[in-house]
Amino acid sequence: MRRYSSTPTERGFVADPTDAQRSADDRRTMECDDRGIAVTLAEVALPLAWNLRGNASDASFAAEARRSLGVPLPAEPLTSERGGQGDTLLWLGPRSWLFVGASVSMRDDFDTARMAINAARGALFDLSASYVAWAISGVSAPRVLNRLCPLDLHDKSFLPGRCAQSLLGHVNALVHRPRESPTFIVMVARSLAADAWHALCTASASDGYRVEVSRPFDSVAR
Amino acid sequence: MTQPWRLAAGGTGIDRARPIRFDYDATRYEGYAGDTLASALLANGVHLVARSFKYHRPRGIVSAGAEEPSALVQLAQGAYTEPNTRATTVELYDGLVATSQNCWPSVRFDVGAVTDALSPLLPAGFYYKTFKWPATPRWWLRYEHFIRRAAGMGRAAHAPDPDRYEHQYAHCDVLVIGGGVAGLASARRAADAGARVIVCQQSARFGGAGVDAGAPIGERSADSWVNDALAALAACADVTLLPRTTAFGYYDDNLVGALERVTDHLHDPPPALPRQRMWLIRAKAVVLASGAIERAIAYGNNDLPGTLLAGAAATYTRRHGVRVGTRVVMFTNNDSAYASALALHEAGVEVAAIVDARSEAALTGAGAARARAAGLDIRAASLIVRAHGRLRVSRVDVAPRNGGKAVPLDCDVVAVSGGYSPTVHLFSQARGTLAYDAGSACFLPAKSPMAIVPAGAVNGYREPARAIADAEAAADAALARAGVAAARGSTPFPAPHHDDERMRVEPLWSVPAPRGAKCFVDLQNDVTVRDIALAGREGYQAVEHLKRYTTLGMGTDQGKTSNIIGLALMGEQLGVPIPQVGTTTFRPPYTPVTLGALPGPAHGAHVEPTRRTAMHAWHAEQGARFVNAGLWKRPHSYPRTGESEDDAAAREARNVRENVGLVDVSTLGKIELSGRDVAEFLNRVYINRFDNLQVGRCRYGVMLREDGIVRDDGTTSRLDATHYLMTTTTANAAAIMQTIERLLQIDWPELDVYATSVTEQWAAAALSGPKSRQVLAALVDIDIGNEAFPFLGVARCSLHTPAGRVPARLFRMSYSGELAFEIHVPADRGRDMWEATLDAGKASGIMAYGTEAMNTLRVEKGHVVIGAEIDGRTTASDLGMAKLVNANKWCIGKPLLSRAALNAPDRWQLVGLRARNGERIPRGAKIVADPGRALPNPMLGHVTSWCDSPHVGASIALALVSAGRERHGETLWAVSPLADAKVEVMLGAPVFVDPDGARLRG
Repeated sequence: MRRYSSTPTERGFVADPTDAQRSADDRRTMECDDRGIAVTLAEVALPLAWNLRGNASDASFAAEARRSLGVPLPAEPLTSERGGQGDTLLWLGPRSWLFVGASVSMRDDFDTARMAINAARGALFDLSASYVAWAISGVSAPRVLNRLCPLDLHDKSFLPGRCAQSLLGHVNALVHRPRESPTFIVMVARSLAADAWHALCTASASDGYRVEVSRPFDSVAR
Repeated sequence: MTQPWRLAAGGTGIDRARPIRFDYDATRYEGYAGDTLASALLANGVHLVARSFKYHRPRGIVSAGAEEPSALVQLAQGAYTEPNTRATTVELYDGLVATSQNCWPSVRFDVGAVTDALSPLLPAGFYYKTFKWPATPRWWLRYEHFIRRAAGMGRAAHAPDPDRYEHQYAHCDVLVIGGGVAGLASARRAADAGARVIVCQQSARFGGAGVDAGAPIGERSADSWVNDALAALAACADVTLLPRTTAFGYYDDNLVGALERVTDHLHDPPPALPRQRMWLIRAKAVVLASGAIERAIAYGNNDLPGTLLAGAAATYTRRHGVRVGTRVVMFTNNDSAYASALALHEAGVEVAAIVDARSEAALTGAGAARARAAGLDIRAASLIVRAHGRLRVSRVDVAPRNGGKAVPLDCDVVAVSGGYSPTVHLFSQARGTLAYDAGSACFLPAKSPMAIVPAGAVNGYREPARAIADAEAAADAALARAGVAAARGSTPFPAPHHDDERMRVEPLWSVPAPRGAKCFVDLQNDVTVRDIALAGREGYQAVEHLKRYTTLGMGTDQGKTSNIIGLALMGEQLGVPIPQVGTTTFRPPYTPVTLGALPGPAHGAHVEPTRRTAMHAWHAEQGARFVNAGLWKRPHSYPRTGESEDDAAAREARNVRENVGLVDVSTLGKIELSGRDVAEFLNRVYINRFDNLQVGRCRYGVMLREDGIVRDDGTTSRLDATHYLMTTTTANAAAIMQTIERLLQIDWPELDVYATSVTEQWAAAALSGPKSRQVLAALVDIDIGNEAFPFLGVARCSLHTPAGRVPARLFRMSYSGELAFEIHVPADRGRDMWEATLDAGKASGIMAYGTEAMNTLRVEKGHVVIGAEIDGRTTASDLGMAKLVNANKWCIGKPLLSRAALNAPDRWQLVGLRARNGERIPRGAKIVADPGRALPNPMLGHVTSWCDSPHVGASIALALVSAGRERHGETLWAVSPLADAKVEVMLGAPVFVDPDGARLRG
């Protein structure tokens, strides 16, 4: 018998990650069905998120970005680059990337990095508290996500490392597939997180889903 | 109850081991799993199921599929009820409840049938002709009620839809529409090539007409061929088979909408499953294998229950094991009816005669030979001219085609075949052209600009081997369009040699209409052969006019069985060939789509997304009343037990003036700007100077539209040499961000400026009131005295909160007119900041306040707001901010500011109003000089914002008044015809509190 989780309180999604961790315990969880077809939803703690701006064809900017962030600029649109610690640089659009750092320790480096990138005619903005992210994993993950998101998420199409800005229901979302396994990281604006979570749970219901406690970014990204 | 009309054996699609009970018109019947409602009713001898739309004539089951024009029933009850469902496509389930519709008191005796007797008074277009007079609309209102009741279909549910609907996006290389033999052959071919394939099949069972016809495929039975194909497809990881899924719409770039009926066939569906799922499938190429629809021939009383399409009669016999009647007469103009006749004959149903319109010499097909061998009575060159019967056909008159005497023939079923119309709907929706094929008397798909390839019966190939070969070629063409290399090899069936392989049909649309009997073309809309002739005589000859005038091809079936008959008859009347008459446009949806499936999960509270600030949960816990501000929810006020919202807002506003208050301003648009040229950029977008803004200071700025009208206002702070923070109004946050991006990317790419919205990043609160400094001082790690942190100062600091140190940005700005600070912290610390501030302010009497108190405070201070004073018509000068416009620099909108009309002396200018005599200024009042004057009373202006000011102790307002600044001290009238109120008001400066600004600078 499958049991289905209810929508958790919105508390976890508009407050800080530690709060989300606490409220995860409140959530009623359900088991996978016999076939093992299910989807797992877990909030992903984002230690830091910086919006990097600049002209990629400007060599001094590209070099400075790499030096300051430790990750090279993704060569292609809709792709990402990953550093050793799981730090990830996601292509957002022309002259715009999102740097997701795997550890909070880098937060203190923001001003230094910003000034250095400024000097190379680029810009850096701190958006660390702007997003709420979830990892959607399991064999049903692409199908469940495709109930809300019009991207082609097939293995052959949305390759590991891919990222794209799209929709999650009515809400803008950044979709990223960090690696081979069917796990997607979906990031939405914090103010819309409660709604997006409701949509995600509703979309998962017909396959059966399970909510896990929140996971650190690097454990999902690496 | 037993099933008296079920054959003793047979029925490839039913499971006799699984009986199912259902109710139709309050009678309990039994059917079998695999039945449709229509087949189960026929198995119980129920042919009469409906009354027609206009004449309330008795109608029966005509088809066995989605094309059904007549057998429309009301399904289920209460909130679940669904009108106009086709009994022919409803899968039977235990406990199904259906009722007939458009009849009273019953389908057997329907009072509305009187319209049939009155039909000479109700010709085509009677609606347009009759209700032109009398001209007064009041008469129409009287007719309308009765007409809407008399001419109708089922009734919609009045309760909210209790079901859940889901959307599903999908992508594939090849989408195959239709899971018949051709569709499965295409899908297999595409899957063999490794393509991603989706197959949509309208019904629960794959196989389509090929299986129902029962003809072998090569050496094998159709059933085993289909089972093999399904097994092979199911084994492919990248093949998705979608039974019960109708592709209903074809949109640009091969986006196909399809509706999957997930649980409609279950009485007690699992609660987790949606009722229906709407698929939005983006295909690189599409194979259209949607089959063909049989059509009828119009003769007198051809609508009597017991009249079926010949193919449907065979389907009910073979698939459902139903005896459709005791004595069947076939009527045809092509060979397909012979196969149907033989299916009936072999099942033991008496076929009284096959009336074939073609001459004896034309009957050379294998079917005719087999029918002769079976001893069936074939009457060549003959027509059925008229049927007789009341609630069921009992007899037909058969006459030689060359006009001899009619002979009666007793029967209880007439099975008719007028040929097949390929299901080209989606091809046409894909902007495909159609070509008329005279040999098979139908429209075939020709060319489409999209990647859609027709296959099988859509191309006129109904014979399975031909259809398979055609479908494989179609799959190869689709693979080429999708950029997938085709697999090698193919089935042993030779590719069809086009025209000569199609079934020949000798066109016969209608027999010469007998007197006193209606010959129906469109059964759903009661359009007769005469109606079409009348439309032609009255000039409605263009096919689109014909449709609107007669309603031919409208309704839930959209003329699937009738359109071509109508336009062929119009062609005959006009003496032009059918291709010249043309067809009406096929539009989505192919079959009706439940409205609930279109929004999917976006209904109720989720019609649009809701934005919540970081402090939302706190507001909710404190019982805040929320208001919508765009997508945001903002606290309106925090009423205490027994307190009204107005009283709460007044209390909160008074407390800000006397003590201190805290308001959530996180929703304001916040944009960070970074780069060497930000100062120059700001100079170009604001009317006032920003190049001299020092680090650690902020400034109020006003933006104009290009035509010089005020667009938005806000503050911009300089955080460091190259780093600025701009705030916009809540309403304009996204639009201003877009404008900035456009300016930077297109207009001024030379500027070294990058901008990013940080609205989501920062939770913000305004701490206002004379005690705000003492509250804040206890929290922050910097000196916020007036010297160190003066008015319009900006600083970074840390807040000490019980939850730890919180980094913050502090702004000394004031919207309320009091000493005030804005505190911005990262959104994940918003609640910590909020609660720590309230804790720190306890001794000072702090209260949270909502947007209503905030509005009161800003009206008292005379601050303008978007939507009220900034209304898309006002200039900076109108708002009293002419001095802000810097004379020495250019900015957006400035060139057009000098237009004479924007500087006219009588322009409406911002003033403050104060009610005399303790009255309340009515909302939205207009300003006049003399309220007693006869209408139209010249309007001098209008009230833009108003409040009961606790500070002033009177009703006050902001207003735009003609030459308002010249009128300070004058008394005018605020009148509202809506509220039937007139209040004498005194005009003055638009500031009611602290005009010198001593409080906010203190």
